[in-house]
Amino acid sequence: MTIHKGRGFACINYPIGMNLGGDPSQALVHSTPDGKFMVALSSIDLGQGMKSVTRQIASETLGVPVEDVYVDTADSDTGPHCMGSFASRGTHRVGNAVIRAAAEARKQMMEAAAEELEVNATDLDTDGAGNIHVKGAPSKSITIAETAIAAQFKQGRTLSGRGIFLIPPSEADPETGDMTPVTCFAHAALVVDLEVDDETGEVTVNHINSAYEVGRALNPKLVEQQLIGGAWMGVSHALYETTEPNYPARDHGPEDFNTYLQPGPGQIVPHDIAVLERPAEDAPYGGKGPGEMCANPVLPAVANAIYNAVGVRCDYLPITPEKVLRGIREQGGARPQAVRA
Amino acid sequence: MTKKPISFMLNDAEIGIFVGEGAPLIDELRRNAGDLTPKQGCNQGTCGACTVLIDGVPHLSCITLAETVDGKRIDTTGGLAGGPNLHALQDAFIQGFAAQCGFCTSGMLMAAKALLDANPNPSRDQVIEAISGNLCRCTGYEPIVDAILAAAARLQGRAV
Amino acid sequence: MVAVDTYPTMAEAAGALAEGSRYLGGGTIVMRAVNYGDQSFDRIVRAAQVDRGVGSDAGGIRIGAATTMADILSAPDLVFLHPVARSIGGPAIRNMATVGGNLFAENPYGDMAVALLALDAQVVMTSGQSQPIESFLADRDHARGIVGAVIVPRVDQHAFRFRKVSRVKPKGVSVMSIAANLRHGDPRVAFGNMAPVPTRARGAERALAQGVNDSSITAACAACTEGLQPADDALASAWYRAEVAPVHLKRLLLNEGAV
Repeated sequence: MTIHKGRGFACINYPIGMNLGGDPSQALVHSTPDGKFMVALSSIDLGQGMKSVTRQIASETLGVPVEDVYVDTADSDTGPHCMGSFASRGTHRVGNAVIRAAAEARKQMMEAAAEELEVNATDLDTDGAGNIHVKGAPSKSITIAETAIAAQFKQGRTLSGRGIFLIPPSEADPETGDMTPVTCFAHAALVVDLEVDDETGEVTVNHINSAYEVGRALNPKLVEQQLIGGAWMGVSHALYETTEPNYPARDHGPEDFNTYLQPGPGQIVPHDIAVLERPAEDAPYGGKGPGEMCANPVLPAVANAIYNAVGVRCDYLPITPEKVLRGIREQGGARPQAVRA
Repeated sequence: MTKKPISFMLNDAEIGIFVGEGAPLIDELRRNAGDLTPKQGCNQGTCGACTVLIDGVPHLSCITLAETVDGKRIDTTGGLAGGPNLHALQDAFIQGFAAQCGFCTSGMLMAAKALLDANPNPSRDQVIEAISGNLCRCTGYEPIVDAILAAAARLQGRAV
Repeated sequence: MVAVDTYPTMAEAAGALAEGSRYLGGGTIVMRAVNYGDQSFDRIVRAAQVDRGVGSDAGGIRIGAATTMADILSAPDLVFLHPVARSIGGPAIRNMATVGGNLFAENPYGDMAVALLALDAQVVMTSGQSQPIESFLADRDHARGIVGAVIVPRVDQHAFRFRKVSRVKPKGVSVMSIAANLRHGDPRVAFGNMAPVPTRARGAERALAQGVNDSSITAACAACTEGLQPADDALASAWYRAEVAPVHLKRLLLNEGAV
């Protein structure tokens, strides 16, 4: 038995969102009578942290404590329209919509406070702790709860805002095809170290090193969680998962999670991540989106590492032990490529 | 279809329900006893989301015949917290970002509780073994393993 | 809709089995079929008192059919079967899956049956009738009655080897499993998921009869797929299984590499 070590590299420019129809998302923000704020979305949080990030964005824009913001993503009947949770678009598209909605609500909140304090709204600021005060005179202040109560019961106004984000339309140049399909890219580079058993074709992934440029990491723990879980999914797609193990034949498809293979907890790959922050101009507080791209570069990096280890180039997924072993047999044995230090 | 009366301890409450003949325990827990914490994933015994403890040891409630738990004790995630105080495992899962979509979490917590009840000071490999029948699609497992080890340390009064 | 009839003993349950009924052991096979809407049966037969004991018997060690994989793991007399039991499922499955049920588990399951085959276990029905596991497995689709227990000989822990080849770690179903009882003169080698039922590798056994050494290992590996009928499934192709079976048998015989 010989175990061959291999290293593979891949990098990615990942477009955030899509171009189709301007890829819009909407948000509605309103205050409750006691000065809490509701953010209504129909964007779905499927575990990636949409609720946490939009809550932070709303809190930052409104100038109110994050504890006083609630995000309701429950229902596409009652929430304003969203194109969906895909294409790593949530933070960017929905976040921008939330900023616009929250900014409008803040404007009304400041006007309501100004009426109570008998000053100009432009002279007011929030302290982020639940108070609105006159700039340079912190003692002349009103709580946001008092402001909301006054707006609701005295002034007869709502503290609310509407927001939509739509990317600028970009038609293709009929002569050249030139267009700007997306406005914002995230980037990553990733190195996979693995071992190939040349008698069985089995691949063991030993280590992943990656650098991700995702704009500002609005919630660093959520970003890390996405990148670690996503890399696992990338390894899974690269080496395990398929509904058609004999593609293009359709037979012997898996029928449960025992036969639809995914790496188990005994196959955790240590993953060192460097998150680089280059805030994007049109992104909410600079945050792009680490969604899909956290899995994608793992696939070519694994394929490249297998080639580096045994000289077998697999060009469709998953790269099963059988494909590796057949490749080794067809070329008359493992052919380790240059060692990359 | 005939219904059969059974009674059992669900967490700390004595429960009496009529169960359907041939019905799996998960259906009766969720629809009849009203405990929605065990999750119905694959219904084939392959994902672990429905894991509950029967008389203290983990079982898959989707492939347990409901009437067989008559007179037994069942523990679910619904009984983990003591009033407003989360169980150390729940707390560690939150602190360690050990859940994303959360669908596996109930089963993971019960598998982990069974481990810590039997072995308060497990090794990393023992934690991995304990959750080897529970699938997670989001986290890559590492935060879950770390959280269980952190909870074990806290329950033992050790620094993490 | 499924009816459930519970009898006091396994023997009485066996007497009540008829066309369209299935005996419920640990539930991992039958309840899965219920959930799937399997129309081949509409009645579950079970017993209130089941045989879940491990104890000495004239022929070796008697393992009640309702003994779970977890029970095996806590039985000091069965230490040689611990690696086999541990390789099956996660903890919840091991608290449910029984030895009796494993005899009927179709590919890619049934690793305990592979081990029992390599041990020349006897299968004892609740009627008291007994037969060698090899003939039992060959005809298991037509088995009548309920398995009450299996009897395994006491074996040298070092002579008994088991290896399960899974792609998912620490637990996954078998690409194949191999069990070997390397007793001198009359060894046994059995493969799981290399034929419709667990099957002995007679070519390998023949080669190893002279003892385990470099040349007999080479001969055993060369002959190990003789009589096997590996098939394609979602985990691997027949080609791949036949190609790597000698590799995994060699590693088992040399005690080499990760299990």
